[in-house]
Amino acid sequence: MVSSREPHDDDRGGLGGLGDLEAELFALGDSLDVPAPPPADVAAAVRARLTTGIAPTTPAPTTPAPTTPATPAGRPLKRRRGRRWAVVAAVVLAVAALTAATPQGRAAVAQILRYAGIELRLGGAPVPVEPTPTSLPGERAVTLDQARATARFPVRTPGALGAPDAVTVSDGGRVVSMLWPGGLRLDQFDGTISPYLWKQLGPPFPEEVHAAGLDALWIGGAHPLGYIKREDGTSVPLRQAAPTLIWETGGVGHRLEGAGDKDRAARIAASLR
Amino acid sequence: MKSDTPMDDDEAIARSLDGDLTAYEALVARYSVLAHRTAAMLGAADEAEDVVQEAFVKAYRHLSSFRQGSPFRPWLLRIVANETHNLTRSRGRRTGLAVRLGAVTDPVAPDDPEGAAVAKDRRARLLEAVRALPDGERDAVVCRYFLQLSEAETAEVLGRPVGTVKSSTHRGLARLREEVGGELA
Repeated sequence: MVSSREPHDDDRGGLGGLGDLEAELFALGDSLDVPAPPPADVAAAVRARLTTGIAPTTPAPTTPAPTTPATPAGRPLKRRRGRRWAVVAAVVLAVAALTAATPQGRAAVAQILRYAGIELRLGGAPVPVEPTPTSLPGERAVTLDQARATARFPVRTPGALGAPDAVTVSDGGRVVSMLWPGGLRLDQFDGTISPYLWKQLGPPFPEEVHAAGLDALWIGGAHPLGYIKREDGTSVPLRQAAPTLIWETGGVGHRLEGAGDKDRAARIAASLR
Repeated sequence: MKSDTPMDDDEAIARSLDGDLTAYEALVARYSVLAHRTAAMLGAADEAEDVVQEAFVKAYRHLSSFRQGSPFRPWLLRIVANETHNLTRSRGRRTGLAVRLGAVTDPVAPDDPEGAAVAKDRRARLLEAVRALPDGERDAVVCRYFLQLSEAETAEVLGRPVGTVKSSTHRGLARLREEVGGELA
């Protein structure tokens, strides 16, 4: 810790220098032990949370758990979970870490793009696959009419597809999801609020798609999907997502997953009414 | 992670803003111990590690709102202080100073066991007196003397006007003098 004591001169009373009590307090402070883990461990733990969205105490076989020797195992996890679900005001986010080979030298995220309510982190180490798929916060099945009544934005349906098998609303109406057979899924979400999806992407990078009045990005690889909590920006992993098209229309963010190829995805996207 | 030449804060922040997590790791490592001290001394107790991790994650997320060129230390510590405050508020109590006296040989009396014992006793009593201060005064005293922050930094970290920090510190010192100052030379 680097610090200067000069600023304390403004405290000197009539003592002609640092007061005895003040000097004593400085000495006392210097003598106090505060347990702290090795800085490198803290840095690694923080980095792990930033790149994977996985809390360091969450079981994640591919992520080396940082050592936190002074903390009884289990307790921090409990608290994080409590927070995680208590506060979810987050929008969803899809994140893609393409599983394509990531050169060693690209361990650091090189660039962040924000697009349609989704944060794309380009470059960086591969993100471990979330072993246990998780639902969106507060996700529940509803009818299409209920979804329209609950959502904070106009809900549309793609004319290119039939009626969805299932409709869900999550996060207090911020997200409406429609599901079709074969893992096809359309998420519509309030794109005007700040939290984002994050995706950590290695090459191949997202591809711009312009078709039928649509400006979108195509994420052509499987990638971890998670959401970012509004409260503190913590990234919470959800599951491994299939290739996804993302775009924004009228302040509503969209992600269409499982359409197969980008042309079909673009056709479905363009059919939203 | 390894760095060939040490980055200064400004450079590390600029690189972090560009998404360079290795640069951010360097910042985390640099301020980790101070952040733990701050969290522990402002009441996070044994949850200081959680608080500090949350604070660093949050700081990264909000780095774009950091005014580049201004000092990083108080900006970061304010986040640590806020996280600590949120924690203590959520559990309805604060633990106060989560520290213990180290086994320090008093340099004043290295060859004088009796004097050293007296000095240690005095340190213990002073620490107790700091613990017993009203929250506002204790926070100010802790920031100014235990964390060795300037008045301006203390004001930023605690989110109070400088004038308030001055008066809280002043009152705290007066109270400490009353409590333990009698035998002071």
